[in-house]
Amino acid sequence: MPAIEVTGLKREFEGEIRAVDGVDLEVADGEIYAFLGPNGAGKTTTVRMLTTLLRPTGGTARVAGHDVVDEAAEVRRSIGVALQEAALDPLMTGRELIALQATLHGLIGQEADRRGAELLRRVGLAQAADRRVGTYSGGMRRRLDLASALVHEPQVLFLDEPTTGLDPVSRKAIWEEVAALNREGTTVFLTTQYLEEADQLADRVGIIASGRIVAEGTPAALKAEVGKPHLEIGLVDGSAAQAERICEAFGRRLPEKDGKLLVELDGGASEVAKVVRALDEAGIAVASLDLVEPTLDDVFVTKTGEHLEGAEEEQTPDASSAPPPGASGSAAGSEPELV
Amino acid sequence: MTGRVEAAGRRFGARTDLATIRALVRRARNEIFRVPGAAIPGVLAPTIFFLGLTAVFGGLTQLPGFTAEEYQSFIIPISLLQGAGFTGAATGVNLARDIEQGWFDRLLVSPAPRPVLLAGLVLSASLRSLIPATFLLIVGFAIGVSWPGIGGLLLAYFFVMGMGTLAACWGSAIALRFKTQGAAPLMQAGMFVLILTTTAYAPIELLQGWLADIARINPVTQIVEAIRQGFTTGTVTWAETWPGLVALVGLLIALGGLALWRMERTAE
Amino acid sequence: MSRLLLNLRVIVALGRRSVRQTFRRPQLFAPILVFPTLLLAIQTGGAGSAVDLEGFPEVNGFLDFMLAGAMVQSCLLAGNSGGIALAVDLEMGFTDRLFAAPISRFAIVAGRLVGTAAFGAVTAVWFLAIGLIFGATIEGGVPGTILMIALVALSATAFGGIGAAVALYTGRASVVQGLFPLVFVVLFLSDAFFPANLMLEPAATIAEYNPLSLIVDGLRELVIGGLDAAAVAEAIGAIALIGAISIGLSALALRRRLRLGA
Repeated sequence: MPAIEVTGLKREFEGEIRAVDGVDLEVADGEIYAFLGPNGAGKTTTVRMLTTLLRPTGGTARVAGHDVVDEAAEVRRSIGVALQEAALDPLMTGRELIALQATLHGLIGQEADRRGAELLRRVGLAQAADRRVGTYSGGMRRRLDLASALVHEPQVLFLDEPTTGLDPVSRKAIWEEVAALNREGTTVFLTTQYLEEADQLADRVGIIASGRIVAEGTPAALKAEVGKPHLEIGLVDGSAAQAERICEAFGRRLPEKDGKLLVELDGGASEVAKVVRALDEAGIAVASLDLVEPTLDDVFVTKTGEHLEGAEEEQTPDASSAPPPGASGSAAGSEPELV
Repeated sequence: MTGRVEAAGRRFGARTDLATIRALVRRARNEIFRVPGAAIPGVLAPTIFFLGLTAVFGGLTQLPGFTAEEYQSFIIPISLLQGAGFTGAATGVNLARDIEQGWFDRLLVSPAPRPVLLAGLVLSASLRSLIPATFLLIVGFAIGVSWPGIGGLLLAYFFVMGMGTLAACWGSAIALRFKTQGAAPLMQAGMFVLILTTTAYAPIELLQGWLADIARINPVTQIVEAIRQGFTTGTVTWAETWPGLVALVGLLIALGGLALWRMERTAE
Repeated sequence: MSRLLLNLRVIVALGRRSVRQTFRRPQLFAPILVFPTLLLAIQTGGAGSAVDLEGFPEVNGFLDFMLAGAMVQSCLLAGNSGGIALAVDLEMGFTDRLFAAPISRFAIVAGRLVGTAAFGAVTAVWFLAIGLIFGATIEGGVPGTILMIALVALSATAFGGIGAAVALYTGRASVVQGLFPLVFVVLFLSDAFFPANLMLEPAATIAEYNPLSLIVDGLRELVIGGLDAAAVAEAIGAIALIGAISIGLSALALRRRLRLGA
């Protein structure tokens, strides 16, 4: 049984505003599904319908086997939710908040205490547990929000833009936690406007624009649809013609950019080492070498003609030098989160 | 007792509902104990109004037909109910703030039934309304309000809690409808009008024009008179009490029903 | 001269903004106009028999007596509201934008006060209309009516200075909002709602000396007695006294704020 089944889901607001305009999707049990789209695409509205906060005006949706309208109470027992705003009461301590969440989900007494302590430890908030939430940093609030969504071991976890506004270190911490949860069997439905987040975390991505899904698939499959990776090679003067001949063996030459040689790699990113070796064997001096892969933004542009908001800022000039997932250490200019 | 539904090995039922209500009441307490000075306006305002109205309109007792010797004994029921009204309205404002800031969604996505969530909000207001009432009574007795007897005092507290509940139901209904703290004046105005369009300032025979007509049909007039009997006569009788009880129950059904109806429609 | 014109234009523009803000936000608007109107209606019906008390002034009806108090109540609340709005501007950083502009600093405060004065005039017109619709008689006639509107607008300016001073000194809307109960304390200790000679002690004595009572009496006389130069002069004197103190305090608070960069 799929964890989430959505057919023709619609939500219309006053003034004939169609925030969600016929969404179909299915999320398998144990999958991480990312809903990627710009602000106003309908991501949050979809999540709110799936989490029973908003009634659909058309279509059907089932979560953990229950209809979101007719069996809303059963849906709520099966889901954990961390919404876009980490809405936490600043006057409560972390421990009190988890305790309240546990109570709301039917956990009382010792079981609730044990579970709360375990979760606070898991998200690295054990030491801050008795401080008021109002004193927490943004990253700490997000982690507490995540912990409170897990207190009842939900089958399906909904995360609405879980890392928006967080620094790279905190973002990575959240990613690692989400991946760990998924390894333990939790189905995760997350919405995001960050390409890297969808790319790194999701098994499958649904790209939404203007209330409709415009593309769906694994990140690799989606990117492969729009093109192959290419190399941007900066050469030391005098070797351009020779370099072009060598590179033609690996793929189509693309129009020059900023004086660099651009070549598409038919065999994918794995061909990079071969290109470097071939140029080296020919005695060609390379000043710079950049691997540029198609991104989900390229997919979005192909489908909608527009960029995802912020996608251009998100892409660093040197995409190949982006830190691999799981690597520790902070990005330049950011401060590490205090635990 | 068999739980309503089992999910992941947990039972939901009366025990978990009560635990939820307790937890929500505990959270509401934080507004008083963890925000320095936050409680002071709500506690002081009814007493300020009581002292002010007594000082200003105290001369009305000289009118033939006035049913009390001291104006402070006559008007204290109004101030008690106003304190409860302020507290209930504040509950509505807090709910509106929680809705605006997204906190309320956290409660709505939980398995806790909607009536249980409402009960938690409303009960906290009911209990909190005892604070301004107690402060007011202390000041009132200090300036000469007649002792109503134990029965009269308990009755007063009972109706204060009842009014706090009513005001919280009204405030919650408004908050759930408009979802903004900007609706605070509407929450306050509702209680303001309900409490003051009664025999607030003078006995029914001395009220003038439209106010006399409204006071006659306003159920809160019965509540006012039920509380007032102790302070103005020193005794409470069933004959003077039961109309107030009926009024309170009727209003609870109406406003409680409205709030509950709004709670069930949060997903619209 | 052009600098003066510029500042006047700024004051008018800020005044307009202030009035628009008040009308667009129910939580600012309702306490100033709606609640005093409700209170007027209820107190007229509830305490109206007081006209039969010995020592009560000669009036056509209790409503005639109460109108002045309702107007002054609205003015005080408008002043408080203006202070809250100014504090919110300070908290939001909007005033920083104005301070950085080539305009007189006090024009920024004056603009807020002009807005409060305009609102005061609106409340005067409102209560006069309410009074006339429900049977009150303005013994001062048309000149009395115009004079009332002017006095109420000036009163609002004077009271607005208090709100502005607190806002500029503290920079916090919650503090200004905390003054709300004090407004009623001052009102209760005046003859806004009842003749001082029929109030209980010590409120009655305090009301005799409360400058607010002079303002209320001046307005009230225009309703129940007619054009009374002495009463009006005393009202103007009280307004001037309160205004001088409040506007002086707000100027000092402004200077302090600019000096400290707070």
